[in-house]
Amino acid sequence: MSDIKTKFINNPEQVTPELLEGYVLAYPDQVKLGGENIVVRANPKSEDKVAIVTLGGSGHEPALSGFVGEGMLDCSVVGDIFAAPGAQRLFQALQLMKREAGILLVVLNHSGDVMSANMACQLAERVGIKVKQILTHDDISAGIGANNDDRRGLAGCVPLYKILGAAAEEGKSLDELIEIGERFNKQLATLAVAMRSCTHPQNGGVITDLPAGIMEIGMGQHGEGGGGQKPLVSADETAAEMVDLLCRQLQPKEGDKMMLIINGVGATTHMELNIIFRKAYMELKERGLQVAFSRIQEILTVQEQAGFQMIMAILDDDHIDYLKNKRSDAPYWTTIGK
Amino acid sequence: MKTLTIDNFKIMLNNALRHIKEREEEFSKLDAVIGDGDHGQAIVTAMSAIVATAQKGTEFKAMLNDMGFDVMLQVSGSTSTLLGAFFLGMSDTVSGTELDAVAVKAMFAGGLANVQKQTKAGKGDKTMMDALIPAVEAIENSDSADIKEILEAGAKAALDGTAATVDMKANFGRARNYGERSIGYADSGASSWSCMFAAFAEAL
Repeated sequence: MSDIKTKFINNPEQVTPELLEGYVLAYPDQVKLGGENIVVRANPKSEDKVAIVTLGGSGHEPALSGFVGEGMLDCSVVGDIFAAPGAQRLFQALQLMKREAGILLVVLNHSGDVMSANMACQLAERVGIKVKQILTHDDISAGIGANNDDRRGLAGCVPLYKILGAAAEEGKSLDELIEIGERFNKQLATLAVAMRSCTHPQNGGVITDLPAGIMEIGMGQHGEGGGGQKPLVSADETAAEMVDLLCRQLQPKEGDKMMLIINGVGATTHMELNIIFRKAYMELKERGLQVAFSRIQEILTVQEQAGFQMIMAILDDDHIDYLKNKRSDAPYWTTIGK
Repeated sequence: MKTLTIDNFKIMLNNALRHIKEREEEFSKLDAVIGDGDHGQAIVTAMSAIVATAQKGTEFKAMLNDMGFDVMLQVSGSTSTLLGAFFLGMSDTVSGTELDAVAVKAMFAGGLANVQKQTKAGKGDKTMMDALIPAVEAIENSDSADIKEILEAGAKAALDGTAATVDMKANFGRARNYGERSIGYADSGASSWSCMFAAFAEAL
């Protein structure tokens, strides 16, 4: 029995394996377990194509395993709640995905994930597994123009999975995929805002301690502060401030084609997310920017935290094509395709 | 001492683990100045895994390779990554069951080269590299043919390098954010790595 009185769970130690088991049982046509806390496609892509693999802690559902499927991820390697999977499990997954075409490992910039990835890749290379990494660092809360090393990976990894997955399905080589992905990374920025606390599903600890009526812009997805606490303002004011910060980072030029995604992090309703999106869209339009790809969805959550992440990118034409026109059957990012 | 045998090397590793265990608390306290204060536990756990695997070794190359694999697969964290990288790199240049002075120098150089693939930190950044880089440089530059003397040169350089970190300002990774606060304390990683090099030399 759990002591946690706010969540429907059983044994706190079993949260991760139980949630993954439920997930693959629900979507048997798209996903299955490939090992302990490893989710793979139910219908693997042919081995002459690069495999796209990612890693990260659980507790952020549907991220990251929700994006395993045709045209997106081949494999997600899952750690415990908010914790990176160890190098051992990642190494096991790399062995599972081994192929001549190689493996592209998408790593979100969090020290635990980076460390596990570096260890597993080092070992993999020594046993003849071809693997390269691509690191996401879309968070801009460390300051406009901050060094990439200081920028965390937030939900911007999800559209990157879509782009890489679609390009890999087309048969792009490992090096070509890295070029496509890094070009997207450079033009990608995310900012998070939180306004209510949530609890850790295993120890019941408070993850984000925000008093009522206070919001924090720049909040990380594990409750790491962003430094921008202030009294709550309206949806329009919040959206306008965030668009302004993201545009200062990305510096889009008039006529640029933009991606705009509003990701709910748990407790904020789709009603509110739609209202936020509306203002963000108008702000971009006023700047002479065209929203070429958009979405409002919970893609990466932080338990019952209230808030959202605004994910923005300047898109090249190939990125638009991969996002909009290529098929994906991942349970949480389905695209019909043309 | 003209040749280093597998058994000599195991004695060096055991001695390193013993000294590192004795100073576990000191390493954690140094780490707590700018980090999460777990370096003592991390280096003891990692060295324990390394020593356990080494006991099974019968030949340098496979033994060092297995030591690197096992520590990385069994222990998470940056300490394990860097130690694992060091021993994996050492395995790249060696063969057989006995090493002469030239082979010992090449082994340590291989270890450093592989660690440098894992971290961008260099001398002066107040990290374990302030012990490792001078140690390996001194080992390579030693004109002695005596392996104990070569390792003593490495140990001295590592200890000097660690002493120099006291006056440095942390300049790397998350520790950089604590900048000034780090001045006046030796780096925890440099301290534990120099402890290892000193124990290597002492064991022979």
